[in-house]
Amino acid sequence: MLTTINTIQANKGIKLNKKFIALISVMLMVFAACASEGEAGPAGPAGEAGPAGPAGEVSQAAIDAAVEAALAEPEAEVGGTLVIYSGRKESLVADVIAAFEASSGVDVEVRYAKSAALAGTLELEGAISPADVFFSQDPVSLGVVAKAGLFDRLPADILDNVPSWAVDRNGFWVGTSGRSRSLVVDTRDVTDAELPGDIYGLADEKFRNRLGLAPTNSSFIAMIACMIESDGEEKVLEWLTAINGLGYTEYPKNSPQVAAANAGELDIGMINHYYTLRVLAEEPNAQMKNVYLDGGCGAMVMPAGAGVLSTSQNKPAALAFIEYLHSTSAQEHFTNTVYEFPLVAGIAPNALLPDINSLNSPSNLNWSALALWQEKAVELIAQAGF
Amino acid sequence: MRIPKSLLTINSLILFTFIAPIIYMLWRFVNFSRSLSSFFQSWNVFNLMFNTITVFFAVVLTSVLVGLLISIVTVRFEFKGSKILFTLCALPLVIPSYIGALTYISAFSPKGLFVQIFNRYGINEIAGIEGFLGSWLVLTLFTYPYVQLICSSALRNLDSTVEDAARSLGVNQFKVYTNVVIPRLKKPIIYSSLLVGLYVISDFGAVSLMRYSTVTKAIYAYYEFSILGDPVIFYSSLLIVLALLISFIQRGSATSRSAKVSGTPRVPKKVKLEKNGKILIYSFLGVIISLGLIIPVAVLSFWLFRGLYYGTDVTSSIPGILGSFSASIVTSLLAIIISMPIVILISQYKSRFGDILEKIMLSLYGLPHLAVGVSILFISIKIFPSVYQSFFALVISYLIVFLPQAIGGGQASMEQVKSNYIEASLGLGRSKLETFRKVTFPLIYRGLFAGGALVFLSTMKELPQTLLLRPTEYNTMAVDVWSFASEAMFTQAAFSAFILLAISAIPTYILSTRNLTI
Repeated sequence: MLTTINTIQANKGIKLNKKFIALISVMLMVFAACASEGEAGPAGPAGEAGPAGPAGEVSQAAIDAAVEAALAEPEAEVGGTLVIYSGRKESLVADVIAAFEASSGVDVEVRYAKSAALAGTLELEGAISPADVFFSQDPVSLGVVAKAGLFDRLPADILDNVPSWAVDRNGFWVGTSGRSRSLVVDTRDVTDAELPGDIYGLADEKFRNRLGLAPTNSSFIAMIACMIESDGEEKVLEWLTAINGLGYTEYPKNSPQVAAANAGELDIGMINHYYTLRVLAEEPNAQMKNVYLDGGCGAMVMPAGAGVLSTSQNKPAALAFIEYLHSTSAQEHFTNTVYEFPLVAGIAPNALLPDINSLNSPSNLNWSALALWQEKAVELIAQAGF
Repeated sequence: MRIPKSLLTINSLILFTFIAPIIYMLWRFVNFSRSLSSFFQSWNVFNLMFNTITVFFAVVLTSVLVGLLISIVTVRFEFKGSKILFTLCALPLVIPSYIGALTYISAFSPKGLFVQIFNRYGINEIAGIEGFLGSWLVLTLFTYPYVQLICSSALRNLDSTVEDAARSLGVNQFKVYTNVVIPRLKKPIIYSSLLVGLYVISDFGAVSLMRYSTVTKAIYAYYEFSILGDPVIFYSSLLIVLALLISFIQRGSATSRSAKVSGTPRVPKKVKLEKNGKILIYSFLGVIISLGLIIPVAVLSFWLFRGLYYGTDVTSSIPGILGSFSASIVTSLLAIIISMPIVILISQYKSRFGDILEKIMLSLYGLPHLAVGVSILFISIKIFPSVYQSFFALVISYLIVFLPQAIGGGQASMEQVKSNYIEASLGLGRSKLETFRKVTFPLIYRGLFAGGALVFLSTMKELPQTLLLRPTEYNTMAVDVWSFASEAMFTQAAFSAFILLAISAIPTYILSTRNLTI
């Protein structure tokens, strides 16, 4: 008797549940359909990324052919959608990108993240990358992407827009503006006399608990890569360990270091020069300033730059964008709003900037050589306990 | 009783999809390219593990202490306003840890808001709250309410016969608690402390903003460092294993999280207090409420009004608000739908498969979001490029960690659907569809809705997965809060944080207290 009841109950249960299941299946299908419709936009171009073949194995002839094709009708076909991976902060470049959109009619989508993170993402994505342009705040991240064989070579006329130090030797990317490593110094608490001539001098007892840095900042990593290239792994690890031992304040980015120095919380921060100038332009009496070191990698002047991904589905627009970054209005924006060094001849640097020739950056830096040290740089930073 | 094939298939499919990220991560870990010993040497593993474990134990300890004290004080002692004070103490539950951390770092950095306000009284600089102490404080403040809610509910149902016996034997008030009451609350204490522990090891926002190097912070740092390979996989797998372990132990203690009661519990009379006792209790609760609720809300309001006063552009927050809403709505609807076949299988058929399904699905709740995000990121690039950077992939990763909440809601209500109700309805000549509409649905929709609402709120507050997986040009309020806070742009951060709290605070409170108390 009991079993009979159970069976009946079970049967009812099952029959009812079939309704449920049918309902669920239908709804699931509808949702799946909606979902795939939703992502069809961005995923579409990525799916058909084929034509370039395996990245890294691109022959010279293929590159030349591609460049010529792009050069043949540079103005004619610009339009469509352009996906930019920007390692440069939104607040620094959004205006330039908007101006490019307005003047070219290209619909731009930007993915903002750290340059190094985007370089890693591009490596991981490989052929499926939806990106057309990689716009990086530092040359080492660009070098990482170039090394992975993911960039197209740029046409000579774009490369010739800027001085040769700001261009990849293989022509895979081009500089768009210049920036220098510097120290931001709280002038209430730091005297010029106590500051060292080079970055190694910061590993000194007198700077205990007075230093700030942003270990995940791509330019900081670039500086470490430069130090490894010129001074060797051991010395860099020793320095990093010493800095860690002295006690430092960690920041997620450079800009909060400048804010902290301005507020009087931080004595010395290792940054790029332009954030300080931005604040000084707004508050001329701020009690802080930039100090440019006397040489070595702590004084490195490096380009921010951009390159075109070989898997790009819209190379004409990608090249048009990079050319636009060399236009007078973009260059003036970089120097007068961001306080960077313009790279195109004939554009006057902002008055707050030091003379670029007065800076003692190591000369003849080979950016692709530095890119080889990127992974090691991260490893040393981690090993030292940051 | 046999499970229909279709139901079995759907559930197997769901199960596979949902454990795929774990399997993928562990598979990558097994196929590790470098030797583990060199890894341990070069990546600072011990330091990070040490920090993670330290903050785990510290927070669990203080949370249990604070939560238990609040429970005892409010349940067993009589003083004016105990109910409202109990609620105020539990409210920090609704504040996501990264918003809590944001308020503390912006107010108590060496020259922060606190110093700016009290400058005229000669305070120029303070030590600053950050690192281990900051993480400890913030994580304690936003997790002790779990202990408070679970333990107070257990304490209310605790039979007082044993205590009374102890008292009549002349054991003093304090010893009654340490020797009798607290040992009898062992299970709820363990259960809630593991819940807190899970929260702590998965937390990404608070420790990052506090600059305290734990495993989660390292995973994100390595992601930003661009090395997307070994360290990210290593630490993510480590975190997953740790979380599953804790979750497993916690499930074991869950079965009897309320203390055993035989018959009707004898509820002890609330103890009347002397003046001194009242002062002590009021000041204790006052301190807790100030730290957990008043300071964060006051600091946020300050930044908000300052921002509005100086005309900070608030329209830039609109895409984030829309993004949060769309993700939350889609995720919660899908969670309700996907949880239904699971709930049906678990509650209507007793089977081994159902048991296993239930265990696995519920243990997903404790998975660290960051590790799941990393796994989905890799899977979408390497295996399903067509969903890479899509809204779909983001929603899937939300579902993986939040589905247990929907299952919980559905399960509770499905148990009310007795099969004789349905039989009666069918026997009276109603069609099956009508029976569903008139009998089953009215019984279960509240539970489904409550579960879905919890998923909605959790999705809205989610941070690390969103950071890793969001489509290009897609923003949420949580991401806005995070990116503004990490640039020290507190007025902008406060605006999104405030809206997030305004929308989620009250429903989160109601739903969480309902789930955590019995």
